[in-house]
Amino acid sequence: MKFKNRRAMLWHFLKGNKRFFVLSILFSGLVSLLDLINPKIIGFTVDSVIGTEETALSPYLESLILQIGGLPYLKQHIFSIALVVLFVAFLAALCRFLFRLFNSMAAEKLIKRMRDLLYEHIIYLPFSWHNQNQTGDIIQRCTSDVEVIKNFFAEHLTNLLRVVLLIVLAVYFMSGIHVGLTVLSAAFIPVIVGYSFLFHHRIGESFRKVDIMEGQLSAVAQENLTGVRVVRAFGREAYEKDRFEEMNQKYMNTWIHLMKLLSAFWASGDLIGGLQVMLVVAVGAVLTIRGAITTGEYIAFVSYNAMLTWPVRMLGRVISEMSKAGISIDRIAYILNSPVEEDPEEPVNAPLDQDICFDHVSFSYGGESPEVLKDISFTIKAGSTVGILGGTGSGKSTLMYLLDRLYNIEPDEGKITIGGVDIAQMDRRYLREHIGMVLQEPYLFSGTVADNIAITQESTEMAEVRAAAKIAALDEAIGKFGKGYETYVGERGVTLSGGQKQRVAIAQMLIRKPEIMIFDDSLSAVDAETDAKIRKALGERTDQATVILIAHRITTLMKADNIIVLDHGRIAESGTHEELLSRNGFYRRIYDLQSPEEA
Amino acid sequence: MEENNTVKLSWYGIPAVAPYLKPYRKRVVFMVFLGILSSIIDSCYPLFNRYILNYMVPGKDLSTMPLLIVFYVAVLLFQVWDNYVTVYACGKVEMNVNRDLRNASFGHLQTLSFSYFNQNNVGYIHARVMSDSGKIGELVSWRMMDLIWAGSYVLSVVFVMLFTNLRLAFCILALVPVTVVVVILFQKKLVVLNRKIREINSKITGDINEGITGVRSIKTLVAEDKMDQDFVDDTTHMEKTSVHSARVSALFGASVTMLSSLALALVLWQGGKLTQENLMLIGTLSIFMSYALGIMEPIQNIINTISALVTIQVNIERFTRLLKTESDVADTKEVIEKYGDTFVPKKENWEPLHGDVEFKDVSFRYPDGEEFVLEHFNLKVPQGSNIAIVGETGAGKSTLVNLVCRFFEPTMGQVLIDGRDARERSQLWLHSHLGYVLQTPHLFSGTVRDNLRYGKPDATDEEIHRALKLVSAEEVVKRMDKGLDSDVGEGGGMLSTGERQLLSFARAILADPRILVLDEATSSVDTVTEKTIQDAIQTVIKGRTSFMIAHRLSTVVDADVILAVQDGKIVEQGNHRELMEKKGYYYRLFMQQYEDLAVEKAASVF
Repeated sequence: MKFKNRRAMLWHFLKGNKRFFVLSILFSGLVSLLDLINPKIIGFTVDSVIGTEETALSPYLESLILQIGGLPYLKQHIFSIALVVLFVAFLAALCRFLFRLFNSMAAEKLIKRMRDLLYEHIIYLPFSWHNQNQTGDIIQRCTSDVEVIKNFFAEHLTNLLRVVLLIVLAVYFMSGIHVGLTVLSAAFIPVIVGYSFLFHHRIGESFRKVDIMEGQLSAVAQENLTGVRVVRAFGREAYEKDRFEEMNQKYMNTWIHLMKLLSAFWASGDLIGGLQVMLVVAVGAVLTIRGAITTGEYIAFVSYNAMLTWPVRMLGRVISEMSKAGISIDRIAYILNSPVEEDPEEPVNAPLDQDICFDHVSFSYGGESPEVLKDISFTIKAGSTVGILGGTGSGKSTLMYLLDRLYNIEPDEGKITIGGVDIAQMDRRYLREHIGMVLQEPYLFSGTVADNIAITQESTEMAEVRAAAKIAALDEAIGKFGKGYETYVGERGVTLSGGQKQRVAIAQMLIRKPEIMIFDDSLSAVDAETDAKIRKALGERTDQATVILIAHRITTLMKADNIIVLDHGRIAESGTHEELLSRNGFYRRIYDLQSPEEA
Repeated sequence: MEENNTVKLSWYGIPAVAPYLKPYRKRVVFMVFLGILSSIIDSCYPLFNRYILNYMVPGKDLSTMPLLIVFYVAVLLFQVWDNYVTVYACGKVEMNVNRDLRNASFGHLQTLSFSYFNQNNVGYIHARVMSDSGKIGELVSWRMMDLIWAGSYVLSVVFVMLFTNLRLAFCILALVPVTVVVVILFQKKLVVLNRKIREINSKITGDINEGITGVRSIKTLVAEDKMDQDFVDDTTHMEKTSVHSARVSALFGASVTMLSSLALALVLWQGGKLTQENLMLIGTLSIFMSYALGIMEPIQNIINTISALVTIQVNIERFTRLLKTESDVADTKEVIEKYGDTFVPKKENWEPLHGDVEFKDVSFRYPDGEEFVLEHFNLKVPQGSNIAIVGETGAGKSTLVNLVCRFFEPTMGQVLIDGRDARERSQLWLHSHLGYVLQTPHLFSGTVRDNLRYGKPDATDEEIHRALKLVSAEEVVKRMDKGLDSDVGEGGGMLSTGERQLLSFARAILADPRILVLDEATSSVDTVTEKTIQDAIQTVIKGRTSFMIAHRLSTVVDADVILAVQDGKIVEQGNHRELMEKKGYYYRLFMQQYEDLAVEKAASVF
């Protein structure tokens, strides 16, 4: 556990940008203060400059006015009061500008830090972690939950502080005018805040429901589009249309119901607010007529009251939103508290062009799941080619994941050694850098074809890229793309076929010149002719490397120095092609199935 | 990958979406009327204060107070009701239009041909259905209401001011043009910045997606540091751009409030003098001070809305373009008249489909291609025969199948079904008699039963089990915890490729198609499963006209006709024996695949 509690984690996120938060809060306080000054000036002007009331200012201000010529001067130069108002407004605008600037700097630095920390942590988390967690869920945590926390700090927290400060200052200024009227005005604040808080708290559930329904509607459309061939081939357009329209109708109805609640809430807010204003205005008018307050004070008070209306109505929502942030914080903490892959402190990075030895290896994917590998032992001679054959779920891919240390072997479940050194004692990155593994369904990163092939290289040497692509029988196919090696692939580019992806991955591996090469069923989507071409080219190339081939096709495996047949996590048989054929076992059966009937 | 034929619309594209408002025009008119009323009332609230300050306070006369309160409460209640109804109606219009637009675009997509789906990726089309409609719905409701409310508020305020005091009114109005210019300048800048932010943001989301879905490749390639560096570059760019945008928008806000304050100062100066000279009452001064502070924001809103119109115009254009896209495979009027369209078929007029297929002098090139891939091709496929199509990856083996299924139509020549041009009957007629098993089997989320019944909605469980048995897929269903009621997950994700493949066979066979199309289906399953699937194929093609696209040649030796395809063109045609004797392309393909094994097998005999 990296973070013991929520506060520890939030503190960690704030590292390096606390001063921006402090500055933004400071300036937001100044904004509130400055905003409250102008009504005071206007009130004074109405009473003493335009009207004839006695001045009721602090001695300091009185002496200031005397210095410039006293009230008579002001009465003749109302212009100068307008200038003061403008000056105060300018200061307020300046502070508002600085507040928003610092606030955004704080928020953006915060979200960047959170994202960077999360992303780095996620890609360094062990593969087993990724397998246990749903992709969509992790992405959601990295996007919407991060957004919620950012809003918590940068919008809600600063807003809350600002509004609370505004209320305190306004109440202070108002009570300077008339305490009773202030009590009347402020009495509404807890009512409005409480009402709005409860409403938003309750309605949160409805918003989630709408979100879920939108997700479902979107999924219906997505499925229809990806399955368009099936829809057409079965002539089910009308059914699809009905299904979509029904879902769409449901979504709409839910939204409209929510709209009804929301408009009722806003309307009732308007009503409460309107009644409050009425009470303040009516009582204020009565007090003014009775002489308890002056006309100017009445005008100032009414503006203070108006300044509070919106922030107070917003406050309930802000508090309700803030209370939801806790869940997001925990969801992010879940990721950050998961331990990353760890390496031994003093790794033994022995050379890898040695014999690979599986020594009584057993493995299960944790928890209740059954053993995938049971007591596997065999040796791969350095520089030799080994083929592995087995049905779905026989554990052949798992074997390779263990060799690449995507998963760890439990201490008492055997070990894998290379040149006599336990791979658990090696640096993981060192190990992986020297083992090239081509996956059955390789992932292409967004970028050009050349970028993808040279992804592990410091720089993209086109000659090397092309050489690797040639061996992978890819050069020709790339030539047919519009921009050749500069063609964009991945999420927003050209879509490559499964076979082309596999060939890119092979080129990607070849360019690294690893000591150990693993082909995890990585020619499955390539047609027989291309398969043969690649194998031939590889044969010329992989002389020094140790090669492990996993495949379903006998033709791919038959030339290997040794073939291991896996069945339900055990080695069923092993030997050369000829040995295995004469044994009349599993291998022989597969061989017969794949042979042409009448050749 | 958008289409090139862009649609340019005038008036921000609003006339193009106006028809979608038509069903709700009564509600819209009502809503606009109430909205205008509400804005006028809003602009008049300061007048209450004016009355108090001008008449009640100086005269120390409280007698009209009860009347004033009653009047105020009445206005307030009306206003509250008005706002409630307007907001609710607005939300309703938004959602109704949104629904109608979505249904229209989704329905239209169901009629488009494959060339549209080949040229536009799923993400792009999905966004047209889901997000364009939302933006347009918002435009014709809230945005429109904002514009009307703010416009009528400003007009009403100007009206009140001009009638109350010309001099002070001009003090405020003089600053309005300045505000307009300031807002427009900032708005332009902000639109650009916001677009940039959205772009970077979607890049970051893409990065996260890549980092998570591609994690196995990242780890085996030891590319963690590189990926992390790329990510940090993007988030740094994001931070800089966001802060830049915040600075501009903060400056924008400050400028507008400064203009308000300038108006206030002018009113205080000029109005103060007037009041001092008893040419004006305090209450009147107070309403001008309220207006000085209150008028700039609605003006800003008007301009905001107009600038939003420019953004949404893009959505409207894309939406219109989608609806205007015509399918290049469409039934003629006469055909629809007789056989019905996609959504309302007239099944009573449908002839049974026997299964004879004939290519008659067919030439074809893809709509987005330049070269003819078929030229003057002739082939008779009598009912019940089995055609195999073989060739290298990417050689264009699907072309023929696409023509049989009428997913595309011949550029020249005819495809005859039961002796009549396929175009003489409706697409739905043909598709209803078609079975299609894809290379990458697609299942819909839902239960196994839902999926199997896709081609025959009224199939009984008994029929389902018979179909499952026929293709040896019973085991697959038995293994699942709830049998036919088990959930297959999104895209059939709970099942392996081989299992999905078998289920899609059962699905095809359940519909009892006359013509069956099988796209090479055994690439990523192990040999034992492959054998099961191949046996299933042999069972299901019996008695049906079938077309089979194959990578592996062991499956095709029994086919009646084998077509060998190279570089998109048919180079050889005949049965296995004929083609082997010819010692041409097919022979070479075959030998390549089986050479090693055949030699071995021959050797092992001795």
